[in-house]
Amino acid sequence: MKLEELQNQFQSQLLAQNCKDADWIAASSRGLSSEFRVSIYHNAYRVRLAETLLDTFEHTANYITVELFETLAYAYIEKHPSTNTNIGMYGQHFPDYLKQELPSCQEVFEIAMMDWLLRRAFDGPDSLALTKHRLESIVASGADISLLKLVPTVCLYSQQWNSLDIWHAANHDITTPVAITLPEPITVMIWRKETSPHFRSLSSIETKAVELLQSGQSIESLCEILNKQFPGLDIATEFGKLLVRWLDDQILSSNID
Amino acid sequence: MFSFGLGLRTQHYHDFLNTQQPVDWLEILSDNYMVDGGKPLMMLDKIRELYPMVMHGVSLSIGSVNGIDNSYLKKLKALEQRVQPMWVSDHLCWSGVHGRKMHDLLPLPYTQEALKVLTRNIHQVQDALQRPLVLENVSSYLEFESSEMYEWEFLSALCRSTGCKLLLDINNIYVSAFNHGFSACDYMQGVPAESIAQFHLAGHQNNGDHLIDTHDHPVCDGVWELYRKAVKHFGFVPTMIERDDNIPPLEDLLSELNIARSIASEEINQRTAS
Repeated sequence: MKLEELQNQFQSQLLAQNCKDADWIAASSRGLSSEFRVSIYHNAYRVRLAETLLDTFEHTANYITVELFETLAYAYIEKHPSTNTNIGMYGQHFPDYLKQELPSCQEVFEIAMMDWLLRRAFDGPDSLALTKHRLESIVASGADISLLKLVPTVCLYSQQWNSLDIWHAANHDITTPVAITLPEPITVMIWRKETSPHFRSLSSIETKAVELLQSGQSIESLCEILNKQFPGLDIATEFGKLLVRWLDDQILSSNID
Repeated sequence: MFSFGLGLRTQHYHDFLNTQQPVDWLEILSDNYMVDGGKPLMMLDKIRELYPMVMHGVSLSIGSVNGIDNSYLKKLKALEQRVQPMWVSDHLCWSGVHGRKMHDLLPLPYTQEALKVLTRNIHQVQDALQRPLVLENVSSYLEFESSEMYEWEFLSALCRSTGCKLLLDINNIYVSAFNHGFSACDYMQGVPAESIAQFHLAGHQNNGDHLIDTHDHPVCDGVWELYRKAVKHFGFVPTMIERDDNIPPLEDLLSELNIARSIASEEINQRTAS
């Protein structure tokens, strides 16, 4: 048998739901069937991916119980072969899968998204954060700052349930609150501060401001848009408050124009 | 030269940073640091300042008939430039074809055709890294009808055709010898001594009629005995304990490493005396 055919057949066996005997496997000196010996690799593939999902989606598993999580994880693995060399990246579509499989528990999708995005922030790209001192020295030098950039790990996503509280309870091993829909959807920001992933909910004006920074708008243009969308607010004062908080949170990149 | 190392695991980061530990080098799992940034790379850089390192990967898939994944090779090269390791190793195996990743060290048939594929792939990696690649023998649970030679003959031919080096995993020889009924001594006699760059020692799971390479147990007596024979046959080779699961406190692994030191010392002294 040619190498290409052998590797195709071996891989097909591993991805198939059930193992079977294969005539391209040599007889075992210990009398073990070829089906049994392939099943060692067949099981190992599933166990590794399931362990990876459990590690990445730890809070989701705690919320829905590890037993239910594992049932869903093994079913997901059958439908989604791994395509990324880095096993830690496996599970990108798992939150969507949970949404589809648990239609009456939509908060589970949101908790799973939290788990996934926090994990991505953990080893996302590095970037030096802008400090208050650096910003002051730029201003003192008379340089014109027209654009602020976010550090690359910043991402936003919307929640319609009290998923943030549920995730927090799972993280601190305290009583999980009952899932309820929020009066208004909230936006959650996830990023990495130094070496630790962080998250917090944003007000509507901060959501808009961060979205505008993400889209590359200049500070001048950002303030104009906020003025139009939030006519009752003093935008200069609000932007000043946001800037102080962003510096403290380290979400602004020191690479500024 | 005597040198002994351990695999760097996250559980022991602070032990290695806070106190200079009695190891000559650390082996990192390359794949764990082929990320964009964050804590893994920060800790790697800090620990690298204190200890020499070697790199050990699991996803090169050197035996894939489809060839080497260029984006993976590029990341490996970038990490190699960052770490400046003493050597770079991966496994003699394949891990998937046609874009699928099996995340396993799948065995190869020992054929002339596989030898050609491996030779092509190894040359590509060595050209990129500008250094010999070190390849580890894997534990296996099946063999192929199409094989034309023994594993050790295949390894020898590969060393001749590419100049690659070998990381002999003593536990893997023990596991595969048990599973396939060959002699571990024949294996060691059959590989080229001048190509051996490193030994691995690890634990496995005994299931009665087959052994599984789990790296979650201490090294067993049978593997220590085989290590003694390996040192007697090859002389001293840089040696490390590899533990990937059920990770114990660092002091337990250091105690296990001291057993390797004692065995190597006894055997080398005997060689010198005779």
